[in-house]
Amino acid sequence: MSAMMPSTGAVILEEEGLDEPPRRVSGVRYLLGKLGGAAVSMVMVILLGFFAFRILPGDPVASITRERQLNADQVAQLRQQMGLDKPLWQQLGDYLVNVATLSFGESYVYKTSVASLIGDYFWNTILLTGTSAILAIALGLWLGQRAGWNHGSLFDKITSGTSLVLWSVPTFWLGLILLMVFGGTLHWFPTGGMLSPDPPTDPIGLVGDVVAHMVLPVITMVAVVYAQYVMVMRASVMEEKSADYLTTARAKGLREDLVRRRHAVPNALLPAVTLVFMHIGGLIAGAVTVETVFSWPGLGKLTYEAITGPDLPLLQGTFVVFSAIIIAMNLIADVVYRFLDPRVRQA
Amino acid sequence: MPVSHRKRPLRRAAFLSIAALLIVAPAGAAQAADSSVAALQAPTESTSSPESATFRIATSGFVDSFNPFVSIYLTPTNILRYVYEYLVQNDAEDGSPTKGLADSWETEDGTTWTYTLQDDLKWSDDEPITAEDVVYTYTQMMEVPELAVANGNLVTNFESVEAPDEKTVVITLKGPQATNPGLEIPVVPKHIWEAIDSPSEFVNDADVVGSGPYLLESYEANQQITLKANPNFWMGEPAVKRIQYVYYTNSDAQVQALRSGEVDFVSGLTPTQYDALEGTDGVTVHSGEGRRYHSFSLNVGLITRDGVPYGSGNEALKDVEVRQALRLGTDTKTLLDKVLDGQGVQATSFIPTSFSKWTLPADDDVIVEYDPEAAKQKLDDAGWVVGADGVREKGGVKLELRLLVDAEDIQEVSIAEYFVPWMEEIGVKINVESTDSDTISAKAVSGDYDIYFSGWSVNPDPDYQLGINLCTTLPTGTDGSGGTSQDGYCSPEFDALYEEQRAELDESKRQEIVHEMLALNYTDTAQIGTWYANSLEAYRSDRFTGFTLQPKDGGIIASQAGYWGFLTMEPVDAASADGGDGAPVGMIVVGVVAGVLIIGIVVFLLLRRRRSADIE
Repeated sequence: MSAMMPSTGAVILEEEGLDEPPRRVSGVRYLLGKLGGAAVSMVMVILLGFFAFRILPGDPVASITRERQLNADQVAQLRQQMGLDKPLWQQLGDYLVNVATLSFGESYVYKTSVASLIGDYFWNTILLTGTSAILAIALGLWLGQRAGWNHGSLFDKITSGTSLVLWSVPTFWLGLILLMVFGGTLHWFPTGGMLSPDPPTDPIGLVGDVVAHMVLPVITMVAVVYAQYVMVMRASVMEEKSADYLTTARAKGLREDLVRRRHAVPNALLPAVTLVFMHIGGLIAGAVTVETVFSWPGLGKLTYEAITGPDLPLLQGTFVVFSAIIIAMNLIADVVYRFLDPRVRQA
Repeated sequence: MPVSHRKRPLRRAAFLSIAALLIVAPAGAAQAADSSVAALQAPTESTSSPESATFRIATSGFVDSFNPFVSIYLTPTNILRYVYEYLVQNDAEDGSPTKGLADSWETEDGTTWTYTLQDDLKWSDDEPITAEDVVYTYTQMMEVPELAVANGNLVTNFESVEAPDEKTVVITLKGPQATNPGLEIPVVPKHIWEAIDSPSEFVNDADVVGSGPYLLESYEANQQITLKANPNFWMGEPAVKRIQYVYYTNSDAQVQALRSGEVDFVSGLTPTQYDALEGTDGVTVHSGEGRRYHSFSLNVGLITRDGVPYGSGNEALKDVEVRQALRLGTDTKTLLDKVLDGQGVQATSFIPTSFSKWTLPADDDVIVEYDPEAAKQKLDDAGWVVGADGVREKGGVKLELRLLVDAEDIQEVSIAEYFVPWMEEIGVKINVESTDSDTISAKAVSGDYDIYFSGWSVNPDPDYQLGINLCTTLPTGTDGSGGTSQDGYCSPEFDALYEEQRAELDESKRQEIVHEMLALNYTDTAQIGTWYANSLEAYRSDRFTGFTLQPKDGGIIASQAGYWGFLTMEPVDAASADGGDGAPVGMIVVGVVAGVLIIGIVVFLLLRRRRSADIE
């Protein structure tokens, strides 16, 4: 049983010693397998990035010039500028070169390289989603282990209830409600953007200004996201709670509190860790809604506008970048999980 | 031992906050660096000028560039109206030509136009504005295709542009035209632009040298666009020194920003938002006669310029009697009242009533009222007999039409809900095809529709709008490419009248011809005009006042065919404007967040202590 259910560092060390030679080989193979899978996914994404957006209805030039007083020559000029007059295979070639050089071409709308646009907006998204992720993970895991440990208690019921309710609330709706109440009516927080139009020039004021703009979008994101961590952690702790090694720990005379924190929680964290990595990718992609509601100048908003454009190179660029992040995070999740949990190593 | 346990949460909290900082700090630093650049760019005068001197406009508009030769999006185009003066400006009264850079102009045959510039005009960098600047601008557009992207259609009739002296510009046209050729083309400073290597790629988004009332000072994509007053503007420096466009992705956020006072002006409101803002303290709502028309576009049987039919339009609609029956069976009055909440004018043609000179008068003989009985009669006469299921048929074919509806457009969806039963009543079955706007524009181009909704913003001079409804603007390819036709309309009679009005210099005669053309188009029923929607705007009347409308009587403030809207505005009273957004809010928030964190940690520690005590 103890071999199946490693609980302490000692056991892990012991196992590592046992499996040392075969693990190395399978470890490399495992890693290569995962890397190969990720590479294949990436190639698929890159090809999909080209063809999916070509299948979409509508002519970018027609959409961009909608309601604009142009003659046929001007339209032809635009088609040529955007490279849309070239045959499809040539457009594909240009696109692949653009992807390979990581420049992704020039945005139709912003008239600048997609790579530099994504570079500009990337950190804004990381700031927003990073803060939200940390808060959601910390809050979710902490509430989850508490709820799981005291399964069935009032605390558990309240925690699970509220998190599930918030989870099922549409992000857009929740964001808009917060915006109306705390922005439009109470004037506590700004209603959009990342900085005031005339931001303060001193560093503290500047940070304060950004924080003020972050409060509502972060609350929205955390509220909608933390439930999944609560649920996973809760289930995981509940599972560990009845394990034999905890009885051993209790038998040693440890306080219940310590049994939970020292023994149960570290083991229960395993499934949560994978989930965290898998969700960070999704969280960045999920920023589209929150950034749109709160006019946050990040990748999500950029994508939203690329769709309304429609700005093909920009759409392709954000699509490839988002997909790459998700693929990378899943890869990390696989690797980290294997590193943390010997059970996967053995499998 | 117990002591160390109590300390642990604190350590963990500290660890978490450090982790948070590690993630947040680089991004924050990157931002701080960005904004310090912005702060450097903004002159120190912005801090000394009172808050009320900056007029903030909520926007969600795309910016491709601020290069007047290539920019085609609405937001930059509207801003460029404020930055570069035209040779001839559209006046506020009714949009007719008025003094711009040119003091006066004359033409005898409509082919040669001679302009005399005003005295002592200066660019914002104090260089004199001369006829050479005008010649440079126009010639670039005529000679370099990449510089004709934005306004190339305005110079297609230009033969040559010359400057006999510093103050005179002579435009020679290929053929006579009644539309003043000096309109709508932003004139750029030659001394700046000729020094640029690749003018078509120049983004022109900072420290712009211009001639209009406001100059573009700085632009940060998706964050803000800042304009400052031009002290050299020929009518004098505007009273409000700064205009700032602030980005909001969705219009509900814009409304909230106006309510909270973060912005001073919002346009493009829905009737619901308009009603909700009505009565808000310090906010005035404004419903102005716009320059847009909205219509049902009917597939009249599309053909290319060479007469080759294309698309999949229903045969029945090729019959003008059927199209007229559809018009008779459509109650546009009800649509206006119910769908648009009455915020607009019933349409007659494709020239809105805000251009009162050109619009087809509502009392014109050809105008018909909603009359389902007459519609039925017309369909009977055309040989469409009511079948057992109430749907008319002729030669075994049922009268069924496809209506393309943009599922995201609430107005289109609502119109369809009224339209379908009205058509059912006269025996026409409408199949609503709900889809997205890109599919609709693709289908409109390829001709795969029977009816779809169409709309345009129209300029004060009707020439362009009339010109896209000609046989000569029909597509050249059977995929719908190579043309700019509005409804696929083609009538030799209409075309002949078009040429006539184009060369008619006597305005009242031209007006008659235009009315005749619109009446002809109305009778032919290539489209059924629904309404000229009002433009719904709202502004902080507790801070700003004195906007000039275009048309002056009941017109709009933003998106004018001119710069009058924001030219004449002024702060209400510097003392009463408390401003107060920005830094103080930030400081309060930092305080609140820090406070909450500290309280949280303390409570957490206390709870833990109690619990540990219980267990022990």
